[in-house]
Amino acid sequence: MAKGFLPCGTYHQDYAHDHAWWQTRFVKGKMIFLAIGLFLIIPHLDSYYVGIVNMIGYTILGALGVDLLIGFTGQITLGHAAFMAVGAYTSALMVLEFPWPKIFIHLGLAYPLSILCGAVLAGLWSVLFGLPSAKVKGFYLILTTMAAQFVTVDFIITQYVARIGGRGQAFSLPPGTIKIGPWIIDSPTKVYYLMIILVLLCIGMVANLLRSKPGRAWMAIRDNDIAAETLGINIIFYKLLSFFVAGFIAGIAGAFWISNLAAISPEHFPWSWSLWLVGVILIGGTGSIQGTIFGSMFMVLVMEALQIGILPLADIYPQLLEKFLFVKESTFGLAICAFLIFEPNGLSYRWWQIKNYFNLWPFSY
Amino acid sequence: MEITKDLTIPKLFYQKAKHYGAAKVAMREKEFGIWRPITWQDYFDHVKRLSLGLVKLGLKPGDKVAMIGDNRPEGLWVEMAALCAGGVAVWLFQESMMEEVQYIIDHSDTRFFVGEGQEEVDKALSIMGQCPKVEKVLWDDPKGLRHYHQDFLISLKEVEKLGAELDREQPDLFEKLVFQGHGDDVALLFYTSGTTSKPKGALLSHWNMLTMGKHLMSVDPCYDTDDFVSYLPFAWIGEQMMSISCGLQIGFTINFPEEPETAQENIREIGPHVMFAPPRMYEQMTRTVQVKHLDASFSKRMLFNLSTKIGYHVADLKFKKKPVPFYMALLQKIMYLIVQKKLRDHLGLSRIRHAYTGGAAMGPDHFRFFHALGVNLKQIYGQTEIAGISVVHRDGDIKFDTVGKPLPQTEVKITEEGEIISKGPSVFLGYYKNPEATEKTLVDGWLYSGDKGFIDEDGHLVVFDRSKDVMTLSDKRPFSPQYLESRLKFSPYIKDAWVIGHEKPYITAVVCIDYSVVGKWADDKKMNYTSYQELSQIPEVYNLVEAQFRQANRDLPDVARVRKFVNLYKEFDPDDGELTRTHKLRRAFVEDRYQDIVAALYSEAEVIHMDTTITYEDGRTAKIKTDLRIQKVPEEGKK
Repeated sequence: MAKGFLPCGTYHQDYAHDHAWWQTRFVKGKMIFLAIGLFLIIPHLDSYYVGIVNMIGYTILGALGVDLLIGFTGQITLGHAAFMAVGAYTSALMVLEFPWPKIFIHLGLAYPLSILCGAVLAGLWSVLFGLPSAKVKGFYLILTTMAAQFVTVDFIITQYVARIGGRGQAFSLPPGTIKIGPWIIDSPTKVYYLMIILVLLCIGMVANLLRSKPGRAWMAIRDNDIAAETLGINIIFYKLLSFFVAGFIAGIAGAFWISNLAAISPEHFPWSWSLWLVGVILIGGTGSIQGTIFGSMFMVLVMEALQIGILPLADIYPQLLEKFLFVKESTFGLAICAFLIFEPNGLSYRWWQIKNYFNLWPFSY
Repeated sequence: MEITKDLTIPKLFYQKAKHYGAAKVAMREKEFGIWRPITWQDYFDHVKRLSLGLVKLGLKPGDKVAMIGDNRPEGLWVEMAALCAGGVAVWLFQESMMEEVQYIIDHSDTRFFVGEGQEEVDKALSIMGQCPKVEKVLWDDPKGLRHYHQDFLISLKEVEKLGAELDREQPDLFEKLVFQGHGDDVALLFYTSGTTSKPKGALLSHWNMLTMGKHLMSVDPCYDTDDFVSYLPFAWIGEQMMSISCGLQIGFTINFPEEPETAQENIREIGPHVMFAPPRMYEQMTRTVQVKHLDASFSKRMLFNLSTKIGYHVADLKFKKKPVPFYMALLQKIMYLIVQKKLRDHLGLSRIRHAYTGGAAMGPDHFRFFHALGVNLKQIYGQTEIAGISVVHRDGDIKFDTVGKPLPQTEVKITEEGEIISKGPSVFLGYYKNPEATEKTLVDGWLYSGDKGFIDEDGHLVVFDRSKDVMTLSDKRPFSPQYLESRLKFSPYIKDAWVIGHEKPYITAVVCIDYSVVGKWADDKKMNYTSYQELSQIPEVYNLVEAQFRQANRDLPDVARVRKFVNLYKEFDPDDGELTRTHKLRRAFVEDRYQDIVAALYSEAEVIHMDTTITYEDGRTAKIKTDLRIQKVPEEGKK
């Protein structure tokens, strides 16, 4: 892990401290403030705002896997929504259809277990579509990951999985079915608590993976796969591991998201959602966990602002209401263009620059 | 703590090691990215084994153990081990010339030579023939030594093994050795760098070293929770003063940098509480700050300028011992929070309580600079012969043109000839095998320093430059070239300056610009140059240097102003013999070498034709033919 700037007088006598995440009182203080904000302030906001934060959390979970593949392993993917769909459907089916013993459902173990199963299944499904990465890269890999999207969502889920139980297209999730133990998740605030725990766990997992052997192997593959192989890194294994972890997190994201929905259908996981996630990490900055967070916040908040700003105008231009989707999409496109031109390293780089400005104070280098 | 005549460094070491044991870290060394701690117990165990190992190899009380190497814990262990066995420690400078090493080893009757690694072992091997008294050569770092099979070579690990064996045979031998010593026994034999003659070996007793440490610590107390970074050569008495005398008495943690090259960075990591360094180190820090400041963005520069202005103002008030008005104090506090705190952090001075400088004169500009930052920088005056220090500034009583007041129990007087003499418990025993020099230096217990000076109205000692460096113009008006040079060198654009004027009608100067700083300046101004030589002769660069002269000339008496200067086509370099290894200007040498320039500066000539030979670092030589322009510095007000 890049240690960054440490104030004078910070030294470590052993590696455990040398590798600690939070090394100074200043950083620890920041983290306490963050924790207060996350656990004590946000849950008490109006449920509309909590809903927005939940959307941000969902985007972070999705983008984290994409960043792992694109930003850290250099494997471009355009089919991430497929793995989220696998997680979501696995979880939904396990909650609704699986013949659990009664006591199991009463104890509220079905949903938490289904999150895990959904994650593992999505991870394995991701590895399946990552297999071509052993042979192809770049442009061709993009096409194979797109294939994942169409095969999984448009074919398998729409044609077969969504028809299980004869409900038609959408699986409705009756209130009270999503519960962890005695805790029934039925309000945005409760969804928020689940979300924040999952997001923190996933970020912790990815951050720790990145500073251990797999993470270093992934970055070596990203920087130069041939050089990485000559260094003795089993690049096929680590590429597939990267696909597995990315799929695993996507599965968690999907399984989590059903707690926020009254019903799921394949339309929740369109190809454009995969593309959207790539946009999120481009804006946030590839190869940075903070970037994933910043990008998710930016995209969700800009879209919300757009809604607040544009919809009142619909009284004057009724067309706007009809064509709002196009406004949204074109803003998305514009944002990506603008970032690629003016801030190609994303918001995380800007963040780094701001920190650096003060770290180097009163000098410039 | 009471220092008695019976106490020795080993006895104190024994007490401290037993007192702190494994609970406290005695030293740290940066290795593989972390500061590996060594507790007092580890320190004690290593010293015990090494000491007994040396005894097993035949060390007798009074035998000399010569050591050479970088600052490493092992260096200190061996020194302590030698002292514990009743031996005498002799430290050599890393960069000493072969003849010097050979002279010192032979003159000191060294029986054991301890080198850090291959480089030092090679040195030992090449002088073994001329030094028949050397019996064993000890080494620590095995890198490159695999194929060295001489019988007299032995690694410190093996010595420790021998020591452990001896310890099993005679378990109480070490204690017996430690407690046999007496305070008047010789502890260190330190050779003073002779600029004119052969080095002289000063004999320092345990009593000398311990009283000096005690008195310094009574002026500026340190605590055992403090950190100290040991990165200057152990052969320098100042480093012995901190690491051995004060370190043992206080028990602060001594930190060793990873490599000499990383010292500055490592100091920043540790953030020492106390620091002692020659002026060169502080000058380097000032230069770093100035250069980075020049490259900072506009807003940062403005805030920095404002904070330095306030800092200087407050520092000057304190120097004059005037009360600081509350609004100034408040402004200073604010500026400290927004600029200076961070600046001190960059320099590794965040936690500094006392910073000392000694060994050479330090320019007042540099001195003020540190005080403006709120760093408690003090002058130290002393010589090896008085265990390193006899005079120091007191807190709140600092004058940058003095070196302070004598330590407790130390008397300092001025003879009728103006020579500084001192007396006290830390005055050395005499020179080794040199009774004539001892007689000359040590008269009735008074140490004759050879430095001129006087004591001012506040009781502060003022030391003149060594008398040969005080000069007079042809009309008998005196001036100090060193003072002028240090003022000029405060400018980041000027790397070195050589002020001329002895028995001349006016003062002139030869300037070596700082290639990287002036080069950057020229780049920003889109000026073309291909070499140092070309850059130095650009008219705009001349004007830039002239501006620095006008700055330095300001508030100087008319006599001390520089009238003409020339930019030299190269930097002064120790390899060319223009500077000493400690980067002091060798005046006589440059005067001889650059006679043409001196002659031209005192003629009507405007251009000097140079035709000289220069030596590259790899030993090749090349002819240089160039023209140097002479520029006049206009008088203030006449421009």
